[in-house]
Amino acid sequence: MPLYVKLAIRNVFRNRRRTLITLAAMGFGAAAVIVFGGFVNAIYWGVRESTIRSQVGHIQLYRKGFSEKGNLAPYDYLIRDYAALRAELLKIEHVKTVTARLGFSGLVSTGDTTTSFVGSGVHPEGETDLSSQSIIVDGKDLTSGDPRGITLGIGLARAFGVKPGDDLTLLTTTKAGSINALAVKVRGVWESGEKAYDDRFLKTALPEVQRLLDVENGEVQSVVLLLDQTDNTAAVRERIARLIGERGLELEIKTWEDLALRYHQVRELFGRIFAVLTLIVSIMVVFGITNTMTMAIFERTREIGTIMALGTRRRGVISMFVLEGVALGVLGGIAGVVLGVALAKIISAFGIQLPPPPGSTRGFAVQIFVVPEVLVQAFRLSIITATLASLYPAWRAARLDVVEALRHV
Amino acid sequence: MPEQVGGRTRVTKGDAMIGPVVSKTYRLGKLAVTALSEVSLTVAAGEFLAIAGPSGSGKTTLLNLIGCLDTPTSGEVEIDGERVSTLSPGQRADLRARKLGFVFQTFNLIPVLTAYENVEYALLIRRRGGDTATRVRAALEQVGLRDRAAHRPSELSGGQQQRVAIARALVGDPALVLADEPTANLDSHTGQEIVELMRRLNHERGITFVFSTHDPRIMKAADRMLEISDGRLR
Repeated sequence: MPLYVKLAIRNVFRNRRRTLITLAAMGFGAAAVIVFGGFVNAIYWGVRESTIRSQVGHIQLYRKGFSEKGNLAPYDYLIRDYAALRAELLKIEHVKTVTARLGFSGLVSTGDTTTSFVGSGVHPEGETDLSSQSIIVDGKDLTSGDPRGITLGIGLARAFGVKPGDDLTLLTTTKAGSINALAVKVRGVWESGEKAYDDRFLKTALPEVQRLLDVENGEVQSVVLLLDQTDNTAAVRERIARLIGERGLELEIKTWEDLALRYHQVRELFGRIFAVLTLIVSIMVVFGITNTMTMAIFERTREIGTIMALGTRRRGVISMFVLEGVALGVLGGIAGVVLGVALAKIISAFGIQLPPPPGSTRGFAVQIFVVPEVLVQAFRLSIITATLASLYPAWRAARLDVVEALRHV
Repeated sequence: MPEQVGGRTRVTKGDAMIGPVVSKTYRLGKLAVTALSEVSLTVAAGEFLAIAGPSGSGKTTLLNLIGCLDTPTSGEVEIDGERVSTLSPGQRADLRARKLGFVFQTFNLIPVLTAYENVEYALLIRRRGGDTATRVRAALEQVGLRDRAAHRPSELSGGQQQRVAIARALVGDPALVLADEPTANLDSHTGQEIVELMRRLNHERGITFVFSTHDPRIMKAADRMLEISDGRLR
C-alpha cells in the first residue's frame, strides 16, 4: 500500500472516538438513503404490480388508430379475429394469460338514483389472473354461468348503496348510436386499491356487452396479456411487434408503462421526495465531515508545518486531507450499506402498517427492498460528500504558513 | 568553500549563503519587530556550525531563512547555488525536499507512521526513484536504530525519536541539515549523544550541519560558533 494511503487511513483512526462518531453519522445518513430508497422502490413495485394485476395487464393490443381516434369513435376500432389472435399470442414464451375486453360507458341506475360509470365487458375466467390484486370484498366474482351478473368497484357500490343481489339498469349508446339498456344483477363488489378506479368502474360478461352495444359477434376492443414476470414485458412486446409485422396485422401495442399513469405519478412524487432526502443527508454529512476535519487540522497544525518544512508542496497537503476524506467516505459508505441493509431487513420483518399512499384506498405493511442500485448510490454518495467536505479543510491546511504552523503548540 | 569573485561572495556547491545584508521584520499589530537585522553569513560545505544565543535572539528566524521556510524582508539567501527569492513557494518546497534536512527541537515525527515510514516519507516527497528501502534502512542503520524501524514514535524514547528525525533529515543526501535546538528537549546525556551522532555524520559523510543551541556543552562540539543577540550576529 502506498505510504500516502497508509498515512490517510491511520490518520482517520487517530482519534478513534471522533472518527467513530463521524462514521456513525455518515453511516446513518447512507442507511437513511438505503432504507428510504428501498421503501420507495417497494412502493413503485406495489403500485406497478397492483395496477398490472388489477387493471391493465402487462401488454394490451388495440386496433391500429385506437389510441389516436378511439376516444371519439371507440367502436370503429375493434379487433375482429380475437380467437385466432389469442391462439397465436398464447404460443409466445412468458405469456400466461390472454383475454379480451370491450370497454363501454354510460349511466347506471337503481331506479331511484342514476350515475355515470365506466365499464368493461370481460371474459370472467380470463380475468381471474388479471384481478389477483383486486379483492372481492362482498359477494362473488363474475362467472360465465351468470351472464347478467356484474361486479363493481367499492366506491361506486357505496355511492349507490347497492349490495350483491340488487338489480341495476345499464344505459349506453350502441355502436350505431342508438340508446340501449341492459338489466343486470350485482354479483360482487371489489376493491382494487386505486380510488379513481374503485369509484367509477364496473365489469360484466363480454357477450352481454357485445349484445348491448350491438357489435358483431366476436369483436373486442382490447386484448390483454398477462406475463409470468413484469421484467419480460419488453421482450414479449418485441416478439408481438414482430408478429404484427410478419402477419401485417392492424394492431397497436401498449405496455403497462404506457397505461399505468398512476405508477408514473407515484414515481415522480416519491422520486422527488427521495432526491430531497438525499440532498438533506448529503448536506448533513458534508457539515459533519468538514467539522471533523477542521478539528483534525487544528490539532495537527505542527505536523502539517513539519511535512511542509520537509518539502511537501501545498498540493501534497491537499491530497493528504482529501485522501483522508475519501477514506472516511469509503468507511462511512461501508457502515451505511451494512446498517441500511440490516435496517431494511428488520423493518420489513416487523411489518409496520402504513396508511394508504396517494390515490389508494388500502394501507399496507412497510416493505423495504434491498435494491443494488440504491446501495451503490448510497455508497457513492458517501464517498462524494466526504471528498467534497474535505476540500475546504484541506485547502485551509495547505494555506498554513510553515513558520507559524511549526510554532503551533 | 566560498571564494571572492569580483567583490561578491560566490558560493560553491553545497554552500549556503545569507546576505550580503539580510534583515527580517515581522509585523505584530501596528508594531514592526525586527527579528534579524543586517545579517550576513556563509556556511561552507562540510561545516559544523553552531548558532548560539538566548531565546528571542533571532536564532530560529535565521535558521528559518537558511531553511527556506521564510523569506527575508530584504537581502538574499542562496542555497547550493539557487537564489531563494526567485523561487515560488512550490519551488522552495522542492528545494527543501532536495537539498535540506530538518531536525526539530520537538522531534516532529509523524505519530501515525513507524520510524521506517517517517524516514521513507522524506524520500517520497523528493519524488526521485531508486531503491527506497535500501536507503531508508541505511539511514536508520547510521543512526543506530535498525532494530527500531517498525516502532511508532510513541514507542521510542526522546533520544531515539531525535535519531529517527536525523535519519529522516539525511536520507535524501541533503546539502545542508538544519537543527533548531536539537537537544533542548533531551536530558544532557542523550543530548550529548545526539550531538556526537551529528558530529560523526559530519565527519564521515561530510554532511553540513547548522544548529542553534544555548547549551554551552554542545557549542563546544562545533567547528565554528556564531553568537546572535537582538537579531545581530557577533
